[in-house]
Amino acid sequence: MDKDNKHPLWENIFRHKDDRITEVCNLWSETPLFKGISKSYIRRLVKNMHPRLYTTDEIIFKTGDIGSGAVLIKSGEVAIKAGEKVLAVLTKGDFFGEVALVVDEARTADAVASTDCELIFFLRPDLEEWLHSSPKPGAQLMANISKVLAGRLRHANDMLAQKAAD
Amino acid sequence: MLSLTDKPLIRSLLIFSLILLAAGICAFLLAPLLIPIILSFALYALFDPLSNMLQRKGLNDSLSALLVLCLLVLISILGISIVFPMLAEQLLVLQTKMPKLWDSLNNFSDQVQQLLNSYGINFDPTAITQPIMSLSSSWGKDTVIRLSNMLIDMTVTVILVPLFTFFLIRDYKSLRNKALDLLPNKSFELGWLIYYRVAKKLEEYIRGIMMQSGIMAIVTSIGFYLAGLESPVLLGTIAGLLNLIPYVGPLLAMVPPIIIALGAPVFDPVLIAAAIGVIITAQLIDNIIVVPAVIANAVNLHPITVIVGIIIFGNFFGFIGMIVAIPALATSNIILTGLRHGMKKDTVT
Repeated sequence: MDKDNKHPLWENIFRHKDDRITEVCNLWSETPLFKGISKSYIRRLVKNMHPRLYTTDEIIFKTGDIGSGAVLIKSGEVAIKAGEKVLAVLTKGDFFGEVALVVDEARTADAVASTDCELIFFLRPDLEEWLHSSPKPGAQLMANISKVLAGRLRHANDMLAQKAAD
Repeated sequence: MLSLTDKPLIRSLLIFSLILLAAGICAFLLAPLLIPIILSFALYALFDPLSNMLQRKGLNDSLSALLVLCLLVLISILGISIVFPMLAEQLLVLQTKMPKLWDSLNNFSDQVQQLLNSYGINFDPTAITQPIMSLSSSWGKDTVIRLSNMLIDMTVTVILVPLFTFFLIRDYKSLRNKALDLLPNKSFELGWLIYYRVAKKLEEYIRGIMMQSGIMAIVTSIGFYLAGLESPVLLGTIAGLLNLIPYVGPLLAMVPPIIIALGAPVFDPVLIAAAIGVIITAQLIDNIIVVPAVIANAVNLHPITVIVGIIIFGNFFGFIGMIVAIPALATSNIILTGLRHGMKKDTVT
């Protein structure tokens, strides 16, 4: 594990965290979730997000778990699986699990760390608290989430249509 | 082979017991500060939306918390300078009139007996009223003493609570994040999910019940004043406080005004009817307007669970126990359900 990936409890509390927040802020701002939202707002939100370290093969969540938020990959790789079948391998800057930001429903796939990785959890309580204190960018974020979910739905429909045609 | 602790129910009960033990130890260690802490959390739930609103206007966390503190200090000063003296004065009036009040009640009992005897009915109401009178007399005197002590405690609390509330508004979220981030990866999401559900329910309940209590205190105070009852603000405050206890509270709230009305120097059935009418009207307003608007569905507990919980908590922790019984039961219910769900998933996959 590199020296930046220490457990939050044991890290140097006097170290300036600004670089880390800026990096996460940049990663989120490049995702479709935060399109059209100014960095100052994203920064305020990122300060309350939750960095977690996972080791290779560690389960992030399983199918059927009730999700509580979206996850951004800050470093490393994550495999999204349905049973033994790998559906996708996500890398730095990718995010997953965004459905859990809006509904209290079970996860539809497994997420497993393919390598040692650092993930940033953006949870529903963070979103709700942010919506209360910053409703305008919050509304933009909700619109972005809707677009991302609509895109996923369209993709799923295309796949089903393809399967039916085959 | 599965050991006993691998069973989801046993595991969730074990974890739940550990949480309960930790909560019990915290409550024991913080016993002298428990009431200010509970009140501060209640005020935090009430004033957090105001802090959010100030942040929306562009203020930072500290400044918005400071403005809320200023507002709380202002309310405290108003409370100390206007409401407390009014309550204390009405308490003193009530205390001096207490012997006369019991005499009037005795006279009322005698009049009932005479009336019944005149119709040839041989019935001695004192057989029933005497034990109740002696019981309510001691209860009444105790209550006056207890309420006086409560006013002194409240003065100390009034100083501590705004301070605690200020720090909660400013730092609670970051402290909570640090605490929950200590959870291991495996239970991180489950922990947040349970916290989120508990916090949402409790916030809804606390905001609702405090608004309900305030509305009831104001409505009954005005009602008792218009009805011409002695110490209307004191009686209204008692009715508001008792309304914090679901089901049982509204019934208990009927007792003091009826006793005061029965103990009027001249027997006045209109006054008794007015006292009952005020309570019933207030309850109607509460059940038709306030409850559906502010606390409906805040806690999904069966009425029997609520009543039994209130009795048990009241037995162990007194009046405060009766108030915290519902939030404590609702919290336990959510934690246990969440843990069971989480443990089941761990075992299945």
